[in-house]
Amino acid sequence: MLTKIAGGDIIDPVNGRLDKGDLWIKDDKIVPAPAGGAADRTIEASGCIVMAGAIDIHSHIGGGNVNTARLLLPEQHAAHQLRPAMTPLSNAGWSTFQTGCLYAKMGFTTVVEPAMSPGAALHTHLELADIPIIDKATLAILGNDDFLLSMIRDDAPQTMIEDYVAWTVASTRALGVKVINAGAAAAFKENVRTFSLDDVVPSYGVSSRKIVKTLQAAVDNLGLPHPLHVHCNNLGSPGSADTAAATIAAADGLPLHLAHLQFYGYGTEGKRGFSSAAARLAELVNATPEVTIDIGQVMFGQTVTVSSDVMRQFSARGSAHPKKTVIHDGDGNGGGIVPYSYGKDFYGTMQWAIGLELFLLIDDPWRVFFTTDHPNGAPFTAYPALFELLMSREARTEMAAGLSRSALALSTLAAIDREYTFEEIAIMTRAAPAKLLGLTDRGHLGAGATADVAVYRRDRSIAKMLGEAAYVFKDGDLVVQDGEIIHYRWGKALRLKPPVDKAMVRRLEDYHQQRYGLSLDWFNFPDSAIAREQPFGEVPCRT
Amino acid sequence: MAVAWIGNREALIEHAAAHAASLLSSSRCPVFSFDTDIDGTRAAIALAERAGAAYDHADGAALARETALFTDKGAMTVAPGETRRRADVVVIVGELPRIHHGLVGELAGTVPDLSTGNQRAFFVVGPNGMSMPPLNGGRKATQLSCGQASLAATLAALRAQYKGRRTSQPVSNFNDFAKALAAAHFPVFLFSGHAAEGLALEMLQGLIADLNRKSRASGLYLPASENGWGSALASAWMTGFPLRTGFARGLPEFDPWRCDVERMIAAGEADLHLRISAATAQLQKKRARMALIVLTKTEKPVAGAAVTMAIGEAGVDHDAVVYSSRTGSLRSIDAQADSQLPSAATIIRLIATHAFAEALPC
Repeated sequence: MLTKIAGGDIIDPVNGRLDKGDLWIKDDKIVPAPAGGAADRTIEASGCIVMAGAIDIHSHIGGGNVNTARLLLPEQHAAHQLRPAMTPLSNAGWSTFQTGCLYAKMGFTTVVEPAMSPGAALHTHLELADIPIIDKATLAILGNDDFLLSMIRDDAPQTMIEDYVAWTVASTRALGVKVINAGAAAAFKENVRTFSLDDVVPSYGVSSRKIVKTLQAAVDNLGLPHPLHVHCNNLGSPGSADTAAATIAAADGLPLHLAHLQFYGYGTEGKRGFSSAAARLAELVNATPEVTIDIGQVMFGQTVTVSSDVMRQFSARGSAHPKKTVIHDGDGNGGGIVPYSYGKDFYGTMQWAIGLELFLLIDDPWRVFFTTDHPNGAPFTAYPALFELLMSREARTEMAAGLSRSALALSTLAAIDREYTFEEIAIMTRAAPAKLLGLTDRGHLGAGATADVAVYRRDRSIAKMLGEAAYVFKDGDLVVQDGEIIHYRWGKALRLKPPVDKAMVRRLEDYHQQRYGLSLDWFNFPDSAIAREQPFGEVPCRT
Repeated sequence: MAVAWIGNREALIEHAAAHAASLLSSSRCPVFSFDTDIDGTRAAIALAERAGAAYDHADGAALARETALFTDKGAMTVAPGETRRRADVVVIVGELPRIHHGLVGELAGTVPDLSTGNQRAFFVVGPNGMSMPPLNGGRKATQLSCGQASLAATLAALRAQYKGRRTSQPVSNFNDFAKALAAAHFPVFLFSGHAAEGLALEMLQGLIADLNRKSRASGLYLPASENGWGSALASAWMTGFPLRTGFARGLPEFDPWRCDVERMIAAGEADLHLRISAATAQLQKKRARMALIVLTKTEKPVAGAAVTMAIGEAGVDHDAVVYSSRTGSLRSIDAQADSQLPSAATIIRLIATHAFAEALPC
């Protein structure tokens, strides 16, 4: 089918296209305007902005910890009452089915679940397979697992470590590797309660820094497109900006992605010992081109924090609202579920302001990514309101008026005039994520690209405009019209397939037999276990 | 071999599915109970949404107690692999389901390699005479009991004594337990809703929380039914809620009392019961005017069922994904002897095609 999206304002920074014009789709690809071609279908887009489908690089949408959060919080459904009608299981609250619909309505077409425990890969992919419409991907967690820590302790050759990383990525069908508070979960099992970059995991004699650097090098040497995705130590602690700064410095010329930097933007100034260090971190990011970050913006209201940083979550149990938590010591990281309500008090305001400061003070939209660390800073359904805050100084001022003055006095937010342009939004939420993840087929509107397209009708309210797309195409299928789901389909999970070393497989088989009394078969699974046609799409590694 | 029956008469599978669909379409209060793999659960829940049915595990009481621990209180838990490698003190809390006895024996036959002591002590909490899983190598577990006091009362006394408080009846062998805890690096409590009441599970978590104030400890959750917990997980991701959820008003509503399928049948609320389980367990007494549709591994019709359809057993007759307590997650298993019997999911989807215009989403 040949589709013409006619007369829209096209914003495609990758191909330098910022003009009013037409966009052509043939089947599932974007194509050049056909000579004299007559469209089978024409979408009238005058008065609309046309961008590639958005990509979220860090949103906890599926897997063991997310599902445990659902079990822990049946009452959380009140926050998810508005539901698209007439779609299968669309009325199913905080579910996989609704996740796909809500993302698609906003024009998002690819979302990355950033924390997959390798042992729960099958569970994670089954959940992702039940998220409709959009494509998904996952990052496999390493850095607290005995096999890796033992290899580092024993000075195993870097190539052997790379074989292990490659096996993990391939067998779990991941798109990259994440390290979460490297070494801390292992140390917590030995009753260590705080853990920083140069602290050492007791039984292994290996520092957090060493784990991060080892994995960073492995990811780079293997040619995995996405750099090591790092959840730093000391998340949420006053003074955590020092840890983030040390981790940025440790990048040392190799690519490194720091997740949800807002949660590390905390200084120790003021009478409460809690202040904004956003300007300092933004300056460091600006000066360190090999580093990319996403924000993890806080928005106000009830949410639930879901993290494989089990040490941090354990320490946060006292702040749970409502008062119930799950803390799980897993084979590697495990995880913690702590419900939390961000109030408009001093601390909530400070966190809100720090996130916005980072967004606005980091100059390069190619290196700062739009996230709330769903659901940790806020549910992803808060994205439209967040777009408004980034694109309108007036909206920020209006919102700040109802917040803690003493917190805002310790922040530079009020002095920042910057407003994101649509071009910068297109870079931050489309072009840059595609580049960061190695997804050359999306994030832009050039000929040959996958036909993931979002069309937004201009409106005085940016939140309304970007929250309810006029049209969304996924793989050329028109899935959203006027903010409603009109076509239900199944996306794929995007994965890498690095070559696997047979000697490493034998070594892992022996390890599992010896240490767990189980064959490796207990953890492997065929694609057919997902029970969907073509559940995976392969992304090439760098050559 | 016949694989479908309408009443006592053999029927073509398509006819049986059509008849089941017709009963489902005319039902005003359908209920589903199942004991099946992940694919079967997904199909059953998708059908429940279309039919406006309430759904539950086939033996839902123990699972409901376990679910309530998570929905109401939360928990500290540990993976089974970490338990094997790290637990230097293992405490068996109440009677465990027989399916987990192998794991307990395995723990008794190994020592923790990630714990400095390289040895493992065993305790068991519960009334005297409680049945115990066999421990390998002649190992013995030290009993912690308050005579015939309930498990919850014993755990409460244990928790109180650990905190240095007085109790009306002391826990037997408490000093041995306290000494073992003082030397332990990572004690693990094995628990299940199989025999433990909600209060006992909550009290156990209180004890674990107390221990974690200064040292480490956790609980290994061993579900009363592995299929049941697998279904709870699938239900959570599909609807946001665990089992005992209903679609009577279109939206999923989680209500562990109202959607207790056994209760709904006994109270005469349900007018149709779809039971899905390869196992041929005894069925709850059928109410008059309640249609019964049974999907089970059988060679003959089930007495009293309006429709019986034969299904294979997950992991025996067909490949499947199931919850495994041995890994603490979902696991793919191959069929032991691939048979011609269809999976539960296949039959559920077939019924759905006759009942509804659109195919199920899973």
